[in-house]
Formats: sequence, C-alpha cells, structure tokens
Amino acid sequence: MEKKPFMKPRTVSAVKDFVCVLPALIFLAIFTYYPICKLIQISFTDWNLLNDRWNYVGLKNWVWLFNGSGTKHLLNSLKVTILYSIGELAITLVGGLIFALIFNRMNSAFSFMRAVVFVPKYVAMSSAAVVFLWILNTDNGILNHMLTSLGLPAVDWLGNRNTALLSVLMLTGWRAVGYGMMIYLSAMIGISKDYYEAAALDGATAVQRFWKITIPMLSPTTLFLFVTTFISSMKVFQSVDILTKGGPYRSTEVFVYKIYLYAMEDFRMDRASVIAIAFFVLLLIITASTFKVSNSSVHYDS
Amino acid sequence: MKKMLAVVLTAAMGCSLLGGCSGGGSTGGGAQQAATGGTEAAGDSSGTSAAPVDASMYEVTEPITIQWWHALEDQYSQTVAEIVEGFNSSQDLITVEATYVGSYAQTNEALVAANAAGTGLPAVTVANTPYVAEYGAGGLTEDLTPYIQATGFEIDDFGKGMVDASSYDGKQVALPFLISTQIMYYNKDMADAEGITIPEKWDDMDAFLEKASVVNGGTTERYGTIIPGWDQWYFETFYLNQGVKLINDDQVSTDLGSETAVGLVHKFREWVDKGYVNWTTMDSDASSNMRQAFIDGKAFSVVHTSSLYNTYVDKCDFEVGMAWLPGGDTKDQEIGGCVLLIPSKNDQATKNAAWQFLSYLCSKEVNMKWAKETGYIPTRNSVLQTEEGVEFLKEKPAFQCIFDNLDLINPRIQHPGWNQLSTIWKNYMLEIMVEDVDIPSKLEDMVEEINEVLEDA
Repeated sequence: MEKKPFMKPRTVSAVKDFVCVLPALIFLAIFTYYPICKLIQISFTDWNLLNDRWNYVGLKNWVWLFNGSGTKHLLNSLKVTILYSIGELAITLVGGLIFALIFNRMNSAFSFMRAVVFVPKYVAMSSAAVVFLWILNTDNGILNHMLTSLGLPAVDWLGNRNTALLSVLMLTGWRAVGYGMMIYLSAMIGISKDYYEAAALDGATAVQRFWKITIPMLSPTTLFLFVTTFISSMKVFQSVDILTKGGPYRSTEVFVYKIYLYAMEDFRMDRASVIAIAFFVLLLIITASTFKVSNSSVHYDS
Repeated sequence: MKKMLAVVLTAAMGCSLLGGCSGGGSTGGGAQQAATGGTEAAGDSSGTSAAPVDASMYEVTEPITIQWWHALEDQYSQTVAEIVEGFNSSQDLITVEATYVGSYAQTNEALVAANAAGTGLPAVTVANTPYVAEYGAGGLTEDLTPYIQATGFEIDDFGKGMVDASSYDGKQVALPFLISTQIMYYNKDMADAEGITIPEKWDDMDAFLEKASVVNGGTTERYGTIIPGWDQWYFETFYLNQGVKLINDDQVSTDLGSETAVGLVHKFREWVDKGYVNWTTMDSDASSNMRQAFIDGKAFSVVHTSSLYNTYVDKCDFEVGMAWLPGGDTKDQEIGGCVLLIPSKNDQATKNAAWQFLSYLCSKEVNMKWAKETGYIPTRNSVLQTEEGVEFLKEKPAFQCIFDNLDLINPRIQHPGWNQLSTIWKNYMLEIMVEDVDIPSKLEDMVEEINEVLEDA
C-alpha cells in the first residue's frame, strides 16, 4: 500500500514559501511594526526622554495636537513640508525631464555631462550642506559675491523667512535633479521607436510627439518618481538640520525636524509620537490617493 | 486584486516611512527596559547615601578605562590633553580617554540618547549649567553626596552660588567645573579716547548707546553694543534685574507679558531701530561674526561670556575692558559654563573611577590651570581670597569686575520646562527684533505658549 504523504504538495509548497519570507517578516516585525506599536503606546503617555517611567494620560497629547497649542505647530509644519515637497517634486520631475531631453544623446561627451549632473546625488548630504552653508553665507558667500558683482543687493539667504526654504531647496535641487534625469533617460530609451516613426509619417511635429507619445509613455516613470520623491521629500531632515535648524521663525520647520525637536531638544517623546503618527496617517492617505489616481492615468503598455 | 495590491503597497510604504521616523519610539522601548536597571542602580546609591558612609565602597581596586565627554573646542585641546595626561600618570589603575562630543547642545543630545538606550554612557561628562535641573529631575545623574562624604572632598571651598547651580532638590548631582558669567566686553582705548562711560544701570543705557554708536544717514558704522540673540542667557538678566519673574512663584506661568517685560522689549527694539544695538541671529556663525565686528571696531562693545576673555584679548589690537552688565533694582547675574556629572546608570566600578577623575578635574590646581589659560573663573574660595587670587588679577586685571561681584552670580533657573521656555523665548525675541511684526500680539502668543509649556512640564 502506498504510504500517505505527511503533507499535501500544495501545503508543502506554501510552507516553503512562508519559510522563505520569514526572515523578512521577522525583520519587518522587529524594526518596523514593533516601533509603530510602541509609538502608538507612547502617544498615550507623558514620557519625557529623561525619565525612567511614564504614566498613561489618555488623549491628552492628542487634544494638545488637535485642539491645543500644538495645532498651530502642526499646521505650520504641514504648510512648510508641503511647500518643500512641491519644490522638490518640481525640481526632480520637471528639472529631471528637461535634463533628460537635453542629454538624451548616446556619445561620450554627453555621457560625461550626464555624469557631471548625476554625481551630486552621491555626495553625502551633510558634506554638501556644509558647502552650501559657505555658498549661501551672507557676508562671505560666493552667491552673494556674484549678486553684488552684478550690482544686485546681497541676500540673507538662510536668515530671511522668505528665502530660507528656497535655500534648502537649492541644495536639494542640486542633488536630486541628476537622479530624476537618469530615471527619465532610462525610461526614454525603453520607448519603442515605432511610435515616433508612425507619428512622423502621419505628420506629427516634434512638440506633438513629445506631448502625445513621450509624456504618456513616461507616465509609469513619472508616477514612480512622484511617489518616491514625494515620500523622501516629506522626510527631509539633514539639510534643514545643517542649514537652518528649522528657522528663521519656524519657516523651515518641516515635520521630521519638528518631531526631532520635540524628542531630542525638549525630550517630549509623548508629543513627538503624536506628531509622528499624524504624519504617518497623512502620508498614508496621500500615497493611497496617488495610487488611486494612477489607475486611470498611467499607461503601462510601452 | 489590483486594488488590494495598491492598498498593501500603500500600507507597506507608509509603514517603512513611519519606521524611519520613529527611531525615538523604538529607542523608547529600549529605554523603558534599560531604565529599570538604571533605577535600581540609582536606588543603590541613594540607599548608600542614607546609610553610614563606608569609604571602601568608593575605592578603585582594579584597572579600568573610562570615557570623559567634553565640549571643549580645538583651542582648548592642548589644555585638555595635558590635564588628562596629568591624571593618567598620577595613578596606575584608571585610564581616562577624553572625547570631544560637540557643542553643549550636541553633548546633551548624545547623553540623553545614551541614557535612554542604557548603553554607551560616558563615566564623566560635562553639561551646560541649565541642564542640571532636568537631569536631576529625570534621575540621569548620580547623587555625589555619599562620594563627597566618603572621600572628604572639600565641597565647601566652592562659592554657594556654584554649589547651588550644581545641585537639584537638595542633592549634589554635579560639581562646578568651568564657570563663567555674562559680561560686557568693550573697547577700552575707544572709551578713553571718546570719553564713553560704561553704563552701570539700565537707565544709563540710552545715553551710553547714543554716545557709543556711530550712525550716519540711517547706516550704522559702529554699534553701541551687540546682544547675542542665539541664547537668551545673554539678555535674561536685564529682565531679572528689573524684577521680571521669568517663571512665577506658582511655577506654571511667566511674567514675560507684564508691563515691565513688554517695556523692555520695546526699548530693545527702539535701540535696534535706531541702529544702536545689533541683535544677532541664531546662525551657526553668529558668534564668530559678533566677535569679528568687535575686533574690527564695528562695535564698541559686545555682551558675551567671560570664558572668551583670552580669545578677545589675543585677537584685538586694542585694550579689552570687561564690565558688569547694567543692573536695575538689582545687578545679579547668572552662572554659565559647565558642570561635571556621573551618569547614574554606570556600574559602581565605573562610578568610583569617574569620581576620582571628577575630583581631580575640580581640584584647585586644575581649576587654576583652566582659569589662567582661558577666561573661566576660579571657582575655589581658597584661591579667590588669597595671594593666588591677587596674582591672578595681576595677570588679568579686567577680571576685577567679576571678583568684585562674585556674590551676585546666581544659579540658573531650575525648572523641568526651562529648556522649552528658553527656546520659545529666544525665537520670539529674534523675530520681534529683526522682523516687522506687531509686538504686543507676538508677545501674547509667546506668553501663551510658555505658560502652556510650564503647566505641562
């Protein structure tokens, strides 16, 4: 008589699959989901980073955030972060696309120029920020030196509330535009030449070909760049920390920096955690909306 | 299926993001666990303080290497190296490794993070004086009282203000190390040549600034004085000496919205508008820019810490004078600089070694070395009131104004919400001084924010 197997083949396969993903799941559980749970727990406490113990305080921190003095800080950080994100998205998507169109030539000269534009991405943010501190210095910075040479007034780039965020975006743009360019370039190479030839035969102009073929065919890449850039821009920290420290007058106090200030300067882990959770929910909603919109407007058939 | 995938992807991205932002949360868990051990350790030592002191408990019996965190910048590196070498060669069991962590704020961050994690703590660390209350309240620091009793450390040789500044709730949680105070540096040659009298009272400031400043056609060629906007420590005594209580007796509100306080703000702003006073920004180079303006003769005086006396004297090609800040009803000032402390979560062997090194750093000889080579104030009564003090004044006569007023140097305000208060205050002050804003409404917002912080501290 044939011996009955211990498990059905399908079950064996499922167990194998599970075992394969188990290390990743354990990693996620320890380093992602556990901290999230802990964060939610802390948001209901009065934990000060210096203290050994905490007490549960119910919804006190949430009331502070949505109906107390925390509300105006939340709204300010929301405004600053969104403005920054819009700036970084514009630089990465529009700037990246323009550079990709300019450098879409396959020869060694253009290859060199592409490398020049792309290399800043690999310069450590802290090093680049220190260099920008010097470039943007009011009295001795090279940018103001150039402006005054042209007869224009010097600008207090980092000390003026109207220019501080722009200054942070200059650094971001310098680093991010090359990345956007490379991603768009690789996508452009993947677009079949047949579309352009057929359009040319039908008398389409270069501008028409760009708007009717290139842009739609790049939409999956644009979506990818939009989502990844958006999320990374919402998490901006290092450049703000080195260049402006959230100032002047909270004009560059982005979300993550605000969380850092509450946690590491005021030691208020309770308040830092409620802002972090609010930030998380906000991003979840925006990212979900992006995927929803993308279903109807992204073409995957290149 | 597609929708499902989108939802899963969204959730995963969001979770990764939050994971990235929630380092504090994960640290918190570790902190809670580590904290239990720390509390027990702290409990041991407090128990020791209650029991009769057994000196053998604080002896170092085996070789040990310990870390000393400090915030002493490059110009002090030679002094630091000599002092550490002096200690290491003076005995066989303890080896000290000195580490420059960064500014006081960076040292604070590193210390709090290490304390929360319960690992990587130094045996001894410096801490800026305003942190003593928060550290003491949070149990971060070891109570040094039993060590002092066990080893007969001469704590009474320090001035009372210094002892109070390094205590919390009746416990000696730190020792005074490098002590300074707010001071006005002025160009003595210029003062003598132009007959400028240094103001002793707040009411003298108008006349002083008018004479010391040079403003032509709305452009300031020489500021009467520069006030550092990056740290409220430099302007808070102007308020205190006018009777403004930065934290009221109820401990949950501030007097910064009072008529006197508002009057002070308007006066500062008036001087800024006239071009007499430069209120600096909080840029990282604000301090060096201020120094340079003084060195270049673009400012008659600057308000700064006395610890930079040597730096000013070395850089200026004119005689540098030091003056006590103009007072009001009183002319008190506050302690600045740093204290030394031992984190309570260290094991007892480390704490014992740390105490020996700490005692050495706060000894009369080491303190005098610091005082001579920098601008820090001698901390020992046995120096100040003896021949050594006279010798010191011969070398640095400008310090006479500090020696004359030593009893007026008070501890910093100790309140768990002080750090938050000071950040809010200096931010609003800078905005009021630099931007065109409605001062009463800004002050109203500031007071509301500070009161909320104090109530919840």
